[in-house]
Amino acid sequence: MSSNGKPKIAFFDFTSCEGCQLTVIDSLQDHPELLNVVEIVQFREAMTEKGEDYQIAFVEGSCSRASDEPRLKKIRQQAAIVVALGACAHLGGVNALKALHPLDEVRKYVYGDKADWYETYDARPISAVIDVDYAIPGCPIDRNEFISVVKALLLGKKPPIPDYPLCVECKLKGNVCLYTKGQVCLGPVTRAGCGAICPSFGASCEACRGFITNPNDNSMREVLIEAGLTVEDITSIYTMFTTYQVREKIQQKG
Amino acid sequence: MAGAKAVDAVYDVDPPRTEKMLRELLYSAYFVADHTTHFYALAGPDFVIGPDAPIVERNILGIIHKVGLEIGGKVILARKFGHNVIEMIGGKIIHPCTSIPGGLTKGITEEQRQEIEKMGHWAVELGHFSLKLFEDIVLKNSTYLDLILGDIYTHRTYYIGLVDENNKVNFYDGKVSVVDPEGNRLGKYAPKEYTDWIAEHVEPWTYLKFPYLKKVGWKGFVDGKESGVYIATPLSRLNAADGMATPRAPEEYEKFYKTLGGKPVHQRLATHWARLIELLYAAERWVELATDPEITSDNFRTIPTEKPTEGVGIVEAPRGTLTHHYWTDERGIATRVNLIVGTTNNYASLQMSTNKAARALIKGGKVNEGRLTDKGNPFKKLCIQIEKASLGGLSLMEKLIDADQTIIVDAIDTHQFPKGTVRIFKLKDLPDLNSGHTASIHDTSLANAIEVGRLICWNLINIFQAFVVYLPAKQSVLMLSNCAI
Ligand code: SF4
Ligand code: SF4
Ligand code: SF4
Repeated sequence: MSSNGKPKIAFFDFTSCEGCQLTVIDSLQDHPELLNVVEIVQFREAMTEKGEDYQIAFVEGSCSRASDEPRLKKIRQQAAIVVALGACAHLGGVNALKALHPLDEVRKYVYGDKADWYETYDARPISAVIDVDYAIPGCPIDRNEFISVVKALLLGKKPPIPDYPLCVECKLKGNVCLYTKGQVCLGPVTRAGCGAICPSFGASCEACRGFITNPNDNSMREVLIEAGLTVEDITSIYTMFTTYQVREKIQQKG
Repeated sequence: MAGAKAVDAVYDVDPPRTEKMLRELLYSAYFVADHTTHFYALAGPDFVIGPDAPIVERNILGIIHKVGLEIGGKVILARKFGHNVIEMIGGKIIHPCTSIPGGLTKGITEEQRQEIEKMGHWAVELGHFSLKLFEDIVLKNSTYLDLILGDIYTHRTYYIGLVDENNKVNFYDGKVSVVDPEGNRLGKYAPKEYTDWIAEHVEPWTYLKFPYLKKVGWKGFVDGKESGVYIATPLSRLNAADGMATPRAPEEYEKFYKTLGGKPVHQRLATHWARLIELLYAAERWVELATDPEITSDNFRTIPTEKPTEGVGIVEAPRGTLTHHYWTDERGIATRVNLIVGTTNNYASLQMSTNKAARALIKGGKVNEGRLTDKGNPFKKLCIQIEKASLGGLSLMEKLIDADQTIIVDAIDTHQFPKGTVRIFKLKDLPDLNSGHTASIHDTSLANAIEVGRLICWNLINIFQAFVVYLPAKQSVLMLSNCAI
């Protein structure tokens, strides 16, 4: 807590596109009142000053090299609450796609004969390295959800992140299900909260918010097979943002 | 957007006119929002408030203080309107979700069109207002003009930018025009020809690559006609084109070159002005597209019939030319991807600018406080420090200040000498002073950092040599420094 009694918060970035941090800046423009009740001590995207004393840390980006780990651990040591910001930090996100190819091949593809110069490993969610208290899902995060999470944290409450499938939101919006139009969609296993944006605009959900706690994978698979997809097709749809989770599932099943 | 175009190319499909206009409309609104933010919140404060003003005032609040509350409101509204258009057409502001092979999932209604048009007119006003503000505050002030025209930030490089069939600036479609430091057009390339024109250089101290003009070649971090270093920015887009195609932007384009002494303009500070001219252009294009009778048509997708293979898409992002190259299997699943993103094009030039500006602004050991961004108090006195994390040159240099004697023991893997070899380097043997960073984009090499530190008059006189030991392990970096206090 700072001398003015405001909780101190800090933002950090790892392997990411900074889209979530930009969304934070946008949310703060819509809700400047939040700045009256917190003190931001570190936020590279928005300010130069750097404070090392904070209670809440928002971390954007996945961990994609061993040398990121000490920095993450230091953040964990300092912060009372660590929040993963967006799909990269929460799930590994698109960065984790790298794991679908042998690491050496990936490095050679990017850096050619200089591949050895660069340190990297399979990209992973930050929860694979440190304990994470909460995650704000999405690629990018939802502006309003960010505000409601911060407000809940300030009130000492659990952030209101839905744990039901996207289809619920999609139906509430009155959308015609994409499956009836011959498209596929991961809505049934995906965590709601984005307002089912993609299906509302006629595009398939690719689970950027990750899966719900108990997704019915078996029936999802049946639906996808019924829609004419091969196992290969299903794997590619399932791995857009959630390669790390899919690999974990496969490993658990042996 | 480049991705959407690359996907069209992968499926060898030409989307209908309405679709192209909708994407360009989304993009024009995005440019307005981004250029406004960039000018008023990121770069403009240095100008509007004054480059010598204390750092704390050089932010958006400082601008509001100087030119009135009205502007702060305008910036926020420009973002809001820009975002509204993006959401209407693209679904999401960041990573829009409506582009599919051959078109969009959705068009716009007449009601939405009217709303978009109204916001577009407001944006045009904002464009004029911003240029007027720039004229009153910057162009009418000879100190500023001298700063722009002065040599500090000048690099005579190549320039690239997307142009239409009449060689006019275009953000969404066309060919990439390349001009040399004298302003002669070297040629134009279509997206799929980019590999004939652009190659990428790598350095061991950065993950980011340095794209350069293949036909000219990589000659290091230097400017001039012999060096393949180019830039892709608002300034370069104006330099690479023959003009602009909307109603009022051409006047501003002409005035720009008249004031700054002809084409091409090499002074990097003129980029702020170029950005505002582009802001007006984007706003005018927004209105043109929103008032086209075909914009509300239902013909917003061509169903692809070809098997997907490989494709390249190029658009201009606010900070530079964006190239996406995808290869897919027959199901359209990406197997390989190559991206050259906006700022990456400018990475080599950025290295050169930082070095040049630091040398010019930090003179005789005295730093003009107003001009340097505060990096915190660097005067740390250390006895023996063991660092395990990777450090950039600046942070390492800070740790050397006031030491009586410094020996740096570093374990690195060079692939040149057998592991375990011990070699001694003098400071001057360390990599090129112009070279970049090791840990972050804002950092620089140790040699360069020490040079800067000395110019600032920090006590760094006793760094006489660095021992570099090639140990079998890669991870340890050990730095010893004798007690100074
Ligand atoms: S989650 Fe998406 S928007 Fe956020 S940083 Fe990662 S890639 Fe960018
Ligand atoms: S479109 Fe997707 S999210 Fe909507 S109901 Fe169908 S499966 Fe569920
Ligand atoms: S619909 Fe799915 S993919 Fe789209 S934003 Fe929501 S969770 Fe992400």
